Parts: sequence; C-alpha cells; structure tokens
Amino acid sequence: MTIERRQFLKLSAATAAAAFSGLGFDLKPAFAKAELAKLTRTRQTTSVCCYCSVGCGLIVNTAEGGNGRAVNVEGDPDHPINEGSLCPKGASIWQLTENDKRLTSVMYRAPYSDKWEEKPWDWALDRIARKVKDTRDATFEVKNAKDQVVNRVAGMASVGSAAMDNEECWIYQSMLRAMGLTYIEHQARI
Amino acid sequence: MSGKSFFIDLSRCTACRGCQVACKQWKQKPAEKTANTGSHQNPPDLSAATLKLVRFKETAVGGDFKWLFFPDQCRHCLDSPCKLASDPVIQDAIVQDPDTGAVVFTEKTKGLDINLVRPVCPYDIPRVDPVTKIMYKCDMCLDRVRSGMLPACVKTCPTGAMNFGDRQDVLAMAAKRLGALAPRYPQAALIDARDVRAVYLTLYPVRQYHAFVQAAEAAPGNFSRRSALALLGGNAPRTRT
Repeated sequence: MTIERRQFLKLSAATAAAAFSGLGFDLKPAFAKAELAKLTRTRQTTSVCCYCSVGCGLIVNTAEGGNGRAVNVEGDPDHPINEGSLCPKGASIWQLTENDKRLTSVMYRAPYSDKWEEKPWDWALDRIARKVKDTRDATFEVKNAKDQVVNRVAGMASVGSAAMDNEECWIYQSMLRAMGLTYIEHQARI
Repeated sequence: MSGKSFFIDLSRCTACRGCQVACKQWKQKPAEKTANTGSHQNPPDLSAATLKLVRFKETAVGGDFKWLFFPDQCRHCLDSPCKLASDPVIQDAIVQDPDTGAVVFTEKTKGLDINLVRPVCPYDIPRVDPVTKIMYKCDMCLDRVRSGMLPACVKTCPTGAMNFGDRQDVLAMAAKRLGALAPRYPQAALIDARDVRAVYLTLYPVRQYHAFVQAAEAAPGNFSRRSALALLGGNAPRTRT
C-alpha cells in the first residue's frame, strides 16, 4: 500500500521551478477565452430523462436569444434519483432534440408499400384511433371457453413508456383497462 | 501550486462509458464510424474526436478471468513531457494553466509534428486531426472548471469512479480509498500520484489493464523524458528530497 514513485517524479522536481518561475511567461491571456462561453445567456429548466425507468433528473440549458434551442443537457445535481450523474444514454440526450436525423413529422408506410410518406399529425391520430377501435371491437371477448365473464381484448398489447410520469401512467393504464387490454407491459422490463 | 486533480477509482468503474459520451457531448465531438472489433471498446482508440475512451481488457489475474476497464485520458502531468518537448519548437503551442495545472493543446499545435509529441507522452495520449493537423487531448474541461463546474466526465459518472477537486483533497481521497481496498486487493496501487493530475487506483498489475497505464522510466519510442528536458536546456535531473 504505497503510492507509486517512479523515476518520472525525480524529473518533476528538477523542472518544477523552471516551469513555474524561471520561465515566467504570463499565461493568463491564453486562458482568457477558456471561460464558459457555451452556457452564458442560457435559461435553465429541469426535465426527466426519457430513456429508462430510473427517471434521472436533467438540467436543460436553452439559448435565451436566437433560435431558443437546447445548447446543453446534463444531470441535475439537486435531483434525488441521480444527484447529477447520467449513464451514457442519458449523457447523450442532448442529441435527442438537437439532431438533424430527428423525425419531426409523421412518417407513414402503408401496408405492403416499400416507401415512407409524410402525413399530418391529425391524420395519424385519427388513424390510430380508428385502428384501436376496430381491433378492440373485433377481438373483444365477453366470455372465455369456460363461459366465464372476462370482458377482455386479446388482439392488442401495450408496451408502455419510461418517459411517462406517475400521473400519465395512471391515466394511460385506466384507458387500457377500460378498453379491456390484458397485455400491458413496460419497455424497462423487456 | 496545488491546482486541481482527478482521482479515477477503477474499483468502482463499471465501464458504462458515461464519461466517454459526456466528454463527446460537451465538446461537441462527432461520432466515428467504426467496425465491430469483437470488443465493447469503441471507438477502438483515442483520436482527435475521442478524448476520453473506456478501454476493455479480457485477461487472467492469478488464474482467474477478469474483465478490466480503463477510462483512459490525459493525466495532466505536473511536469508535462509533451510541453517540454514542443516548447523549443513552438513556444506555448502546449500551455499549462497556472491555476488548475491543466495541460492544454492550443491551435498552434498544428505546427508541431505528432511524431515528436506523441512518443514523449508516457501515456500515449496526444492525437492529431488528420485534416487540420491540430492536436487534441483532454483539456480538463478547463472552461467548466474555471466556472466552478466539474469536468463533464466527472459530473456524469454514476458510480463515483471519476472524482475531481483540489489536488490535496483528491490525493487524500485516493489514499483513503487505497487504504480501504488494500486488505482485499494487496496489489492495489495509486499510479504516478505525485507526477500527474489524473491519478488512477488500480486493483491489479497495471499491464493487465492497458500498455500505457503507468509511466515507464523511458517514454515509449526513443524519446525519453530525460532528452525532452535536455531540449529545454535544463540541468541534469535531481532527485527530489
């Protein structure tokens, strides 16, 4: 249990004086521009990482002027879950919003089609609602093979979201149960 | 001058690579297109775009299989061979911040030869951008540190492997942690603690982790620290008392 002491440190002692006094160049100007330019004139808001069910807190810095976009995202030191730390996925989360590959509109591929087409949000929501209703009505079982009342839907499943908070989960689950879904899962368990 | 230091506790590293990603994110460094090498170590090496890299090594220690992780980065030597070797060529292409002790590559490094700078580094850290010819390595997140923030890699670390602070505090933390681990890991050591500002705590012999964990008496290649000092016109090295 000793701190490693190498030849290297012998050299350190010999040149320490030269490096920090004898050659006394003033290095301050070289570092003047090293001040924190990136986060100046930004606004801080808190958020929650959407990637897994741990729920790490984030601080998002968004530009006050200009386009108002996020300039940096990192862990929130005051958050009780992660106390400022983030895993590699969380650490890269700035790219979730600031990314030229990010999809910002609905992309639809029709059955048997080999290409994607852009669609409006309203069209997509209406179509999802239509499909949910049709599937629910087509696969709803009032009774099972033993003639027991079950009132369930076997034709749909939900793979829920780690990005939802407690209250959203309650509303979402209520909706699913009301429709009769029994296959209710969560991505964090898969 | 005490400045700042890292303490990198390898007993706590799980190789999540949060540090590697947080570094890239803060520095806005681009991704690198890589091929599968059969290892989780990706990119396979440091580069001008990857200043922090978690190295993975499958090895045997005392007959037992070990999967060892080494979050590699610049050590910010108190007395930097890279600066000593390059100052005679271009003064202050490599500078050292007097407050923190951070060793920083400036844009002037584009006038330097990577084959001069890289071989004198005991830890094989300097890399050059093939297009701009500017050299890059970890700069201790000097912009953050000078504004009272932690370096990005330290800030993000979920396990406490990456630590940063005033040098005396960090060295005390490292010594305390070594003391706690020593009974269970008799080979545990703090690497080059008196010479560098990124002090690693290893549990096993350094060669098991990576070839450039610890400074050898001569730097890799034929350019030793001794000759780097000679270039500076310094006196013959003396032994510290």
